[in-house]
Amino acid sequence: MTKKIFLSHLEHLLPMMRNAQWVEVVGRDAIYKEFLFKDFNQTFGFMSRVALQAEKMDHHPEWFNVYNKVQITLSTHECGGLSQRDITLATFIDQASVL
Amino acid sequence: MQEMEGGEGRRAGGERSSRLSALQEQLVWSLLGSGLSKELLIQAMGDLERERASAGAEKMDRADGESSEEGDMDNPPPIFHELERLPPEEAARQRAEVDQLLQEDPWHMAKMIKSYMQQHNLPQREVVESTGLNQSHLSQHLNKGTPMKNQKRAALYSWYVKKKAEINQQFTNASRGVVSGEESGDDVRKGRRNRFKWGPASQQILFQAYERQKNPSKEEREGLVEECNRAECLQRGVSPSQLAGLGSNLVTEVRVYNWFANRRKEEAFRHKLALDVPYSSQSAPSTGQTLTSSPSPVLKYSQPVLKYNQSVVCESLGTVRSSSGEDQGGGGRLASPVQLEPSHTLLDTHHHKPASGGGSLPPVSTLTSLHGVSGSSAAPPGLIMASLPSVMSLGDSSLFIGLTSSQPQTVPVINNIGGGFTTLQPISFQQQLHTSPQQPITQQFQSHICPSSFMATMAQLPCHMYSKADLSSYTSSLLSQAMVIADSNSIGTLTNLTSVRQILTSDPEGHSDTPIEEESLHLQSTSPEPVSSGSLELYPQTHTSETHSSHLLSSPPGDIDPYMPTQMVSTAQ
Repeated sequence: MTKKIFLSHLEHLLPMMRNAQWVEVVGRDAIYKEFLFKDFNQTFGFMSRVALQAEKMDHHPEWFNVYNKVQITLSTHECGGLSQRDITLATFIDQASVL
Repeated sequence: MQEMEGGEGRRAGGERSSRLSALQEQLVWSLLGSGLSKELLIQAMGDLERERASAGAEKMDRADGESSEEGDMDNPPPIFHELERLPPEEAARQRAEVDQLLQEDPWHMAKMIKSYMQQHNLPQREVVESTGLNQSHLSQHLNKGTPMKNQKRAALYSWYVKKKAEINQQFTNASRGVVSGEESGDDVRKGRRNRFKWGPASQQILFQAYERQKNPSKEEREGLVEECNRAECLQRGVSPSQLAGLGSNLVTEVRVYNWFANRRKEEAFRHKLALDVPYSSQSAPSTGQTLTSSPSPVLKYSQPVLKYNQSVVCESLGTVRSSSGEDQGGGGRLASPVQLEPSHTLLDTHHHKPASGGGSLPPVSTLTSLHGVSGSSAAPPGLIMASLPSVMSLGDSSLFIGLTSSQPQTVPVINNIGGGFTTLQPISFQQQLHTSPQQPITQQFQSHICPSSFMATMAQLPCHMYSKADLSSYTSSLLSQAMVIADSNSIGTLTNLTSVRQILTSDPEGHSDTPIEEESLHLQSTSPEPVSSGSLELYPQTHTSETHSSHLLSSPPGDIDPYMPTQMVSTAQ
């Protein structure tokens, strides 16, 4: 059973996320970020990498894609809020986006 | 901010993959980045492609099997394993090259591929196995330019491109036998490697060495090994030190040793054959001589066949009769292993040697080159063409019988009507003989029977003799020739026939021994013209010249002009 991030931890982590341009979603315990790439190919390459990782982690993002833009929302359904997996995936997503 | 760029994509790290689209590149890269190793990825790709191909094949079977020129990618030949390729870039590169080759002129491509195969001494079998093409079709396409559909050509070119890459790699690899892992599939098919084959360059070197010395020592052999391998490499346009590229055609001391051993055996055999030449050359000119002489060497050759008794007429007939069956068998046995042209043999009184004479088998290569080697040397008769005019007087039974019995009978005698009767219609003939002095008419009648069966048996005879030869072309030529000759010779019989009828009607007593003889003798000398076609049910057009019968000849396969694709409207394109 995935646990929500412990509140105290969250106090550390959220600023970190904010620094990385991950914003908290209003009315919901989730984080959100938008990515923009040069063209569709790059975008989809990024998405493929993320997808592969998501499968590996068994944790999937909510996302929307239009051509070279990707909007990602991360949240854990089981615990109804953020969990460590979201943070991990967010970190990975950030890495993938600059590759 | 959204930039609407075209789909070029950014090339990461320069010109890594020239034929991969940007997205493909991205995806592949993603896959690799996801922890998938290159080998694993390639293996998986191969498996997936194979699965897709077999699924496609199933769909093909269910669907209508029309052969359209399009849909090259719709029905990929599942047999052709173009799947194992190392890097995806190489795969793309090869596919691109194949596409390019497909645009070129098929005949030029065929010539190129054929010469490449000759240069590297590659067997067609290998192509057939890895592409699933039909070998006959492939051979015809490469040698004669017979059209080949695009998809199949694609398979061929793919093999070609792949093979070139393999061989280049072999030549550049330091280690021998590195065949980039694709040999594992081929192992199952042909042991480990292709069968070794001598190249023309090596053979030249070896023959020269053979002239100098027939039995080289180990050192000399090793020297020859080096020389040959160097020559083979040069022939392939490669540096002589890159032996690995020769692959299965690499020359070794063992091979050189075997080559010399085979040549020595071959020469010994040829020498042995030459010893028998004197006999056959004396029999060649005329069969009359053959008939009267019965030299012993021939008997040696016909060991499995019974020997004939010349002295006793009636008994010899029996012998002839009983032996004729075996004789045919023996002759058949003798003749069939020889891959010679039967029509040539039939017409020509030069006889070719049976390959299995004397009980010892000649060395391996002799069998294939026999007609080249011993074409000029006379041999014990393969077939004996008996000219018949001298035999036509049927009353003269002793000569008639002597005709058959005096021959040592290594082989059946074709177109010897007298002998023909003996050989081919034993039963009726024997009856004839018993009654021969008294009833020439019966004889005549039975001789009447015989021609029909003679012809029928004639048809059978070639089959009997040349079971391995190409019957379709040879049989007709044989028949037509036989018919031609039979014409002039059997005219006597047939006119005898008419004369017999005449005699019967006019003189039922049948004492016309002499008249018949006279007539037959007389008729012999006349031209075939007077024969009425009415009585000639057997040969409705026999009196015509050879031009007629020549139209019966089917054109031998070898005469077909090479297929000129330039003149052909290529529907494939």
